[in-house]
Amino acid sequence: MSELEQRLVALGRELDLPFEPEVAPAVLERLEGRRPFPWRPVVLAFAVAAISVGTALSVPEARSAILRFFHLGGASVVRVETLPPAVERSQAGGLGEPLPRAEAERRVGFRLLLPPSAGDAPVHVLRGSLASVVVRSEGRTVVLSEFRSRPEALRKLVGPETTVEPVQVDEQPGLWIAGGGPHVLTYFDRDSRYREQPILVHGDVLLWVRGTLTLRLEGRLTKAQALELARQVR
Amino acid sequence: MVDRPLDETGLVELARRGDLRAWETIVRAHQGIAFRTAYLLCGSSADAEEAVQDAFVKAYRALGRFRRGAPLRPWLLRIVANEAKNRRRAAGRREALALRVAAYDRPGDAVPSPEAALLRGEARARLLAAVERLPDEHRDAIACRYFLELSEEETAAALGIRRGTVKSRLSRALERLRAELEEKP
Repeated sequence: MSELEQRLVALGRELDLPFEPEVAPAVLERLEGRRPFPWRPVVLAFAVAAISVGTALSVPEARSAILRFFHLGGASVVRVETLPPAVERSQAGGLGEPLPRAEAERRVGFRLLLPPSAGDAPVHVLRGSLASVVVRSEGRTVVLSEFRSRPEALRKLVGPETTVEPVQVDEQPGLWIAGGGPHVLTYFDRDSRYREQPILVHGDVLLWVRGTLTLRLEGRLTKAQALELARQVR
Repeated sequence: MVDRPLDETGLVELARRGDLRAWETIVRAHQGIAFRTAYLLCGSSADAEEAVQDAFVKAYRALGRFRRGAPLRPWLLRIVANEAKNRRRAAGRREALALRVAAYDRPGDAVPSPEAALLRGEARARLLAAVERLPDEHRDAIACRYFLELSEEETAAALGIRRGTVKSRLSRALERLRAELEEKP
């Protein structure tokens, strides 16, 4: 390859391409002969989450393998009777390769949203799709993770005792997942290659949507503290 | 960690028999490169998304004509590229490509001086502007082969031309770019 060809390849990698949309749901709807929903996906996701939570709180239900789904942006929260075996990690461990912010943004393909307290902290990138930073807040270690919203990019399994509560962060929908012991997190990588990495997570989690991203705060913060930190993420 | 490799041939066979879940898996596996291809050819994010959706719907309905055992990606990209180019023709124009604001360096690269970073940024912008001035057929070949890093075979399939034509278009496009970059140092 000549020098000019190499420069063109390098140029291609630095193009400011728009976020890649998730087209599979629309394609399936058309092939199934269903009309697309008229509402914006995030509004729909929030409505589904809210209805699900309301139902979960009001209707006693029989225990089954999967008790309830909650959807938010690219995340699904699944209430199950029994959590599957998972790898336990320290809160800041197993997050992926630590990188400078610019390189991490190149790997994941979007601009990171971070709180001021992140400073120049390294950004961990897992399989080119999940970016995480470890920050200190209220004297505690907190992990902020973010990823492109796409259906089932991330799946969280919670036990029957864990509460899942709809919240809002800057008027965007979110879920506060608290109590009831550990949760299990699995995810699919950027190319949807069916990689699963069940990770056992301790502490409470705030999930919320901003633009095309789904964000996730994990740590031993109160709900009010987590919401305050989430509002600082820009 | 559980790693289940994609068995595309099996998925295509299932989809041929009407299994939409199998087709969904294929769509998810290829939608990224499909969108990037459509965007580089039509220059509009909204048109590219629509083109990709239409392409996956049409491809599913055309699976009966897909040759068993052939690689799927070039066939899909051909349909995507046709949809994208139709939209470019209908719009009559294409928005210019842009570079990221930040210049990303590889891990381990030395931090460039501000002057070096400026020169590098200017060189990239000049090269991109020169590509944008190429005739559409040359620019499309450059975009597929170098920006998307498709193979020559995939470039030929996506653009609906023979491999020899890809080579000649690339050769003429590169010659033109060299001449233009030398003219305007």
